[in-house]
Amino acid sequence: MTLQTLLLIGLIVFSALALLSRDLIKAAISFAAASLFLGIVFFRMGAPYAGVFEISVVAGLITVLFILAVALTEKKAEVRESPKARLIFPLFFIVFIIIDVLVMRGLIRKIPTLPAEAETGLFGQVLWGQRTFDLVGQVAVILAGVFAVLALFRKKDLDD
Amino acid sequence: MTETWYLYMFFAAALVAVGLYALLTMRNIIRLLIAVGIIGKGISLALLASGWAQNLLLTAQSLVITFIVVEVCLVAVALALAINAYRHTKDLDVRKLTRLKG
Repeated sequence: MTLQTLLLIGLIVFSALALLSRDLIKAAISFAAASLFLGIVFFRMGAPYAGVFEISVVAGLITVLFILAVALTEKKAEVRESPKARLIFPLFFIVFIIIDVLVMRGLIRKIPTLPAEAETGLFGQVLWGQRTFDLVGQVAVILAGVFAVLALFRKKDLDD
Repeated sequence: MTETWYLYMFFAAALVAVGLYALLTMRNIIRLLIAVGIIGKGISLALLASGWAQNLLLTAQSLVITFIVVEVCLVAVALALAINAYRHTKDLDVRKLTRLKG
C-alpha cells in the first residue's frame, strides 16, 4: 500500500517534470519514467499484461517517437513557454489536490457500479473471446495510423 | 478495497488535471502531445482501477491495451503532422499554425 502510494507520487512528479522542464529531450525522458512508474503500479495491481504494454509501448515506442520528433526539429525552433504557466502551476496543483481530497471520496460512493460477474478463464480467452469486435477496430486504427503517417511523409510527385 | 480504489482514482484525477493544465497553457506542439499522453495515463489508471475494484481485471486490462494501441497511433500521426507543420512554419509554436492557409 505504502509502496503503491510512493509509486503513484513518483508518477505525478515525473509527469509534472515532463511538462515543466525546458529541454524537450528531458521532458520525453521524464515521460518515459512516468510510464515506468505506471507500469509497475499495473504489475502490483495484478495486471501484468497492461503493465508490459505500458512499459514496452508507452515508455519505449512513444518516447522514441518523441525523441525522433525533437531530433527532426532545430534547436532555434524552441518555443518560449509563458513564464506565468510555470509560476501558476504549483498554485493550481495545490488547489486541485485540495478539491480532489474533498470531492473524490463522495464521488466514488455515488458512482453507480455495474453488476459484476466473476470472470473466469485466462486473459487470452477474455481478450480474444469476449472483445473480438474491439480487436477489429484496433486493427483498423493501426492501419489508419500507418497510412496517415505514410501519406504525411510521402515524397513529392515529379509532376508537382 | 474502497480506500485503495479511492487512492487510484485520486491520482488518476490529478494526472488528468496536470495534463489539462498543460494543454491550456503551453505552446509547444510536442509538449502538448506529451500532455495528451499524460491525460491518457490518467485514463488508463482510472480504467484499470475500476476493473480492479469490480473484480473485472481481465476486461479492464484488455480495454487498457486497446487504449494504449490507439494512443500510439494518435501520437504517431500527430507528431507527423507537427513535423509537417514545422517544415512550413519553421516553428513548433501552436499559435503560428493559425497563419497556415491551404
